[in-house]
Amino acid sequence: MDRRFFFKVSVAGSATATLAGCGNPENQLIRFIPDEQLIPGLSVWKPSICPLCPAGCGLLARVVEGDAEVIRDGERGVVKMGLVKKLEGNPAHPINRGRLCARGQAAIQAVYHPDRIAHPLKRDGERGTGRFSEISWEQALAELTARLNALAAAKNPQALSFLTRPLPGQRQTLVTEFLRRFGAPPPIVFEVFGEGVLRRANELSFGYGQLPTVDFARSRYVIAFGADALGTWNSPVAQSIGYGEMRQGTPGQRGKFVHVEARLSQTGANADEWVPAKSGTEGLFALGMAHAIMKSQLRSPEAAGLAGALIEGWSEGLPRYTPAEVAAQTGVAAERIERLAREFAERWPAVAIVGGAVCAHTNGLFNALAVNALNALVGSVGEPGGIVFTPKLDFGLDFGAGREDAAGAVTQSIEQMAALVNASAPAPIQTLLLNDANPVFGAPPAWRVKEALLKIPHIVSFGNFLDETSILADLILPDHAFLETWMDNTPESGQTMAVAGLARPVVRPLYQTRAMPDILLEVARNLEQPLSPPLPWTNYEEMLKAAFDPLLEAAGANWEESLQLGGWATAIPSGTRGPVVEMKPMPWVEPQFEGGAKDFPFQFLPFKSQAFLDGSLAHLPWLQELPDPMTTAMWSSWVEINPKTAATLGIANGDLVEITSAHASLRTAAVLAPGIAPDVLAMPVGQGHETFTRYASGRGANPIAILAPMKESATGELAWAATRVRISRVSAAGQLTLFAGGMRERDPEHDHR
Amino acid sequence: MSRRGRSRLKWLAVLIAVSSAGGGWALFGPSGMVQGQSQARTAADSVFTTSHRSTGEAIRHFFGMRNDPVQPIQFPHERHIAQEIACVVCHSGVEWSAVAGLPSVNTCMGCHVGIAEDKEPIIKITTEYYEKGRDLSWQRVYGWNDEAHVLFNHAPHIRSGVDCATCHGDLSKMTVAERAVDHTMGFCVDCHVEKKASIDCLTCHY
Repeated sequence: MDRRFFFKVSVAGSATATLAGCGNPENQLIRFIPDEQLIPGLSVWKPSICPLCPAGCGLLARVVEGDAEVIRDGERGVVKMGLVKKLEGNPAHPINRGRLCARGQAAIQAVYHPDRIAHPLKRDGERGTGRFSEISWEQALAELTARLNALAAAKNPQALSFLTRPLPGQRQTLVTEFLRRFGAPPPIVFEVFGEGVLRRANELSFGYGQLPTVDFARSRYVIAFGADALGTWNSPVAQSIGYGEMRQGTPGQRGKFVHVEARLSQTGANADEWVPAKSGTEGLFALGMAHAIMKSQLRSPEAAGLAGALIEGWSEGLPRYTPAEVAAQTGVAAERIERLAREFAERWPAVAIVGGAVCAHTNGLFNALAVNALNALVGSVGEPGGIVFTPKLDFGLDFGAGREDAAGAVTQSIEQMAALVNASAPAPIQTLLLNDANPVFGAPPAWRVKEALLKIPHIVSFGNFLDETSILADLILPDHAFLETWMDNTPESGQTMAVAGLARPVVRPLYQTRAMPDILLEVARNLEQPLSPPLPWTNYEEMLKAAFDPLLEAAGANWEESLQLGGWATAIPSGTRGPVVEMKPMPWVEPQFEGGAKDFPFQFLPFKSQAFLDGSLAHLPWLQELPDPMTTAMWSSWVEINPKTAATLGIANGDLVEITSAHASLRTAAVLAPGIAPDVLAMPVGQGHETFTRYASGRGANPIAILAPMKESATGELAWAATRVRISRVSAAGQLTLFAGGMRERDPEHDHR
Repeated sequence: MSRRGRSRLKWLAVLIAVSSAGGGWALFGPSGMVQGQSQARTAADSVFTTSHRSTGEAIRHFFGMRNDPVQPIQFPHERHIAQEIACVVCHSGVEWSAVAGLPSVNTCMGCHVGIAEDKEPIIKITTEYYEKGRDLSWQRVYGWNDEAHVLFNHAPHIRSGVDCATCHGDLSKMTVAERAVDHTMGFCVDCHVEKKASIDCLTCHY
């Protein structure tokens, strides 16, 4: 065909060809329009899934064609490609229903961050100095494969370890299966604010070892014990939507909200009543309420069933937990306990939720069990307006023989791993695969995680950024950013239906990165001793299809439609309860603290930062710039102290103070916060990074660095609220950055009206 | 001289006074490129900010002064037009979008795999860009300052049959595109009046 004619035809037909979209092979052949079928200047919204927290909210990403500045083979240049300009909530997603939190909005900066790792790196300086040189993917993958081959050849596959942050969806399955088939132990999952205590409590009380879904929308009365339900706990966007409906969704009815916590959090500030019970005694407070409800015969003890049977003295109506007794220990007046109990029982449907620091004391499990029993007593478990447990989807992947072995495998915690490595030589772990977990920042120093990591001969990191942990790596194989890769998430909570988020890559990769699941699958194929049995998929997309197809087919949905919506939800019956765990009824025990009350007079209460959660988002400048909702502090860290306490210590707003625990001390700015108990100091977690991109490095202080390694006594989880500290003023130069002038609009001292 | 021109002159006088007082370096400092939509930002500029990198840059922006665009290759418009290749082949957004778009290297290679492969510019495109996975960093020739608050949309103009040459000059006589037509408000309004298109302020300024 004459070339010129070819042009004319294609120009005349280009309007229809472009509008007809991707199905037109001729269109792809000619490539007159860019690869991604984008018309310059017109935006396309594509679904994806927010990766920042486990809630798994659905996103819509606005994609526009643009010039990306990239480095290819060491040379700077531009590439014309689809670029994401804005993220919004996906209205079709059943968890967040079109809404998105401030953190989710900022997730876009994780993609276009100037300090993203753009290509594979190999360490060429001392460990921890951050000196790396660029290598090719062929070389990087060959090195990783060689290390795994060496372990297999030495008949020592259990010396491979995988340390990761909680993995969403099928990534968890893939990593677990890879390790099992290689002969290695299951992945070590690390998160600072783990929810292990609450999951265990729900398993014991109700038979579901998962986080609850709170049906705020249909509730008339919510009492929250420490759970920052509107900010950072569980599924905050879903809960905030439900909260709005509870308050304003039914004409003439405004649900009441009570918050019980020693510090007035953002959630507490939204409540009708803030009840500053002594930190660690919230479980006692719940039992005091239960006592009052049973005593006034609003409910009978049997109503609580299994959940009640776990609490000592429940069947007798909790004789030891009289409001007067509870008032003495919690510091809340007996009349108030009785009144709240009456309201809670009478205003059904009512629900109690528990989380945060309440579960992070040494008696955290008891606190959670007590609140669970209170819930069960008023009949709000599995009922509209109460808590429900999201059914779990059963993916029909064929795992081959031997899956039963995996069930018996013991999952290590990072603390156990570090202790083991530090105690033995040579290190029992020879190669560590590191996926975006940062325990060097997020674990108490007494666990000696960094020391342990330095003893491990080979560390391979998949992270996008250099942080305190990944800077110790020998080899960095950077993963795609979340908008450049296949995403899936099956949220544990947030909806009464089973939900599976599913999204294809939104844009082409900006840098020379590769998806972590694809790396594992490729390495698995190239091993000298193949995995037994081998993984049947060549890439992650194939694995997702194999996982989702049977489910979608059974539900009459299809793959392509689900991808266009960004996921899929189904109303399947509630999941099966786990077996009843035989357990003796627990008595109340007081929370234990490290540090004597004489030397260390204050309880130290770290809390998840609204902007950075556990610190993993401190590298995003929009979030650094986000004023904290309570203090308006930004770009900095601070400690909240009661104004009266501060006055006796001579501390003024913005002063630099030193906080000392039995382990270490830190310096930060003081914020005089009216909403905090006089014997509590509260500090947000998230700042104080040594190494975490240009925006977070060397900024503020890390409260985890002074934490005592206390444990929740029944589960062994970190009790991060069990440290006592002292405070002293250093100078006036706290370098506090407040968006507003202070916590109050007017100084109450000068308020003459 | 128009009133606007006189006002510009007044400002220039102020500027000369300032620069003779020691600020003259600012205009000629090592500023790189002009900020604004007419120029691509330099690749080294990776910080999220809308500010100017030098005083000179800020001053040039204030006066709406723009450098002439520097294109990565001397693209011969006249030769392509002589081959009867329509503008829309490369500026593919023009019929549906606000912007016409500048072609990616894939667009070039759509034809030049097989055509004029032995010519020097094509060799350059192939080896320096296409094979290295890079694109041509075209620079925009036309555009308004942000302060003008003009939101121009190509698509309705093309649909109503305005010839590309009306606003962009006769490209069949140019190699790289040059600013052949001065896009003043008078130029736009004259045509709108003639074609009985709306001359409401909000048609263009919104």
